[in-house]
Amino acid sequence: MPTVYALIDCNNFFVSCERLFRPELEGRPVVVLSSNDGCAVSRSQEAKDLGIPMGAPHFQYRQLFADQGVVACSANFELYGDISERITNLLASITPNIEVYSVDESFLDLGQLDLTDYTAWGRMVRHHILQQVGVPVSVGVAGSKTLAKAANDRAKKLPALGGVLDLSGSGEAADDYLAGMPVTDIWGVGRQLAPRLRAEGVHSALDLKRMNYHRAQQLMGIHGRHLVYELNGTACLPLARDHKPQVMISRGRQFGEDTRELYVIESAVAALAARAAASLRREHQLARQATVYLQTNRHKPGYQRTQQTVRFYTPTADTGRITGQLIEALMNETNLSRDWHRADVLLHDFVPEAGLQTDLLGTVDLPLDDRSRRKLQALDAINARHGKGTVKFAAENLSQAWQPRRRLVSPRYTSAWEELPEVHLLP
Amino acid sequence: MDQLNSADLPGAYQAAAGTGTTISVHAGFPNPAAERQGAPLSLDKLLIRHPSSTYFFRIRGHSWHDYGVFDGDLAIIDRALSPRGRDLVVWWEESGEFRLSPLDGADRAHVWGAITAIIHSYGAQNEARRK
Repeated sequence: MPTVYALIDCNNFFVSCERLFRPELEGRPVVVLSSNDGCAVSRSQEAKDLGIPMGAPHFQYRQLFADQGVVACSANFELYGDISERITNLLASITPNIEVYSVDESFLDLGQLDLTDYTAWGRMVRHHILQQVGVPVSVGVAGSKTLAKAANDRAKKLPALGGVLDLSGSGEAADDYLAGMPVTDIWGVGRQLAPRLRAEGVHSALDLKRMNYHRAQQLMGIHGRHLVYELNGTACLPLARDHKPQVMISRGRQFGEDTRELYVIESAVAALAARAAASLRREHQLARQATVYLQTNRHKPGYQRTQQTVRFYTPTADTGRITGQLIEALMNETNLSRDWHRADVLLHDFVPEAGLQTDLLGTVDLPLDDRSRRKLQALDAINARHGKGTVKFAAENLSQAWQPRRRLVSPRYTSAWEELPEVHLLP
Repeated sequence: MDQLNSADLPGAYQAAAGTGTTISVHAGFPNPAAERQGAPLSLDKLLIRHPSSTYFFRIRGHSWHDYGVFDGDLAIIDRALSPRGRDLVVWWEESGEFRLSPLDGADRAHVWGAITAIIHSYGAQNEARRK
């Protein structure tokens, strides 16, 4: 049996989640804004039709939003995460051979399912997710992940297809669809590759499919050869089911208002370091380096960015140690008298907690002494049980001024008893 | 009620012991199911057949007292079910406001999901959630 992949991708996922609990938004232009209400990260079809691009900064489009009745929502990631998990669980009940590629996309390997009509199957999946979870998805099916992603793109953009396209059949059928698709819409063709392909006369996805694979390899390395194979329906990329350990962990936020107040900066760095370190502990990794970045507002004159990196001679996942050293480095090494707009904390250069190497003298300086480890385990357990941020390190609480503005955020409909949607009885 | 050291109690009781919750433990007649090693009864399993399609709503309004439905009650909705006739459903008006009624009285094009249970809890906890 040949390999067949399906890509299930939610249509403007964040907007769809908002509409589930605000059905009056159906048919109206809606955008979801990134944290701190910065820019559009999800747009309904109606908003796309108004020419609002992905990443549109809110302040530049405020007038258009007002004129056209565009509804703007602040991102409600708790809600999106919950809906995403429901979809993943439904898909995993179809087959365990699933790769959750992102919050709104999953690949399924259909090889074991003994299906004959993939279009009918796709329609069934689409119907079930719309009915049971409540958000629309598109389904693309093909012999490779790249082609399944292309099929999904077409299914989404060509309304006549009803959200499902099967390109798993013999090559020719796919050609019409690929001819109408710019090569830059192909998964794995980034902005860097596009000019090189154009120079070769490769403009559409079909051009790339028909490209000589030797030439593709000369131009783009083994990646290029795989692209051509994949577009011809030969799978080169397997389903990535195993969780890959992260190589770096980064947490960042904009300040609610630009600030030069030390205590605001300190408390933001502490909170970000705490979140990054908690994530590191979940991965059972230790960091050898941490970096803190500060930047001023990119849209204002005199844009400036500063960073400080600290090295830990014994790798660590200790919030207190990471925070302390980062803040010390910032205070000592950086001129902070600017109005800062954003802070980021990056942990990198990891070693696994289990395989800790001894130093040159063969001694192990335990990264967390036993008391410190137990304290952090307790902190993580309490926060997991009662919600993030229940127990904090002291510095995190110095100021709440850095917390992002989310003025337009919807309730946590599915994750807080106090914020459930309400159903009204007629008098 | 016998005074017991919380460490002697089964897990769930231990958890409750620190929270100020009163649990009455009756000594005497042996529990006929004490030997059974099955899973404990779960309200989640009883009330939620399809976790992926189950949502909770809060009921607002006082007009259904005669049917035993009160302001602040919790409605459980399973979108995987196909309601019929007198089955209770949540549906929405053009304004986006959610309504509760038998399917027969609902706007069929705007049905959000079928009600599987309405939970009324007594006491201060519930009182606090009423507006």
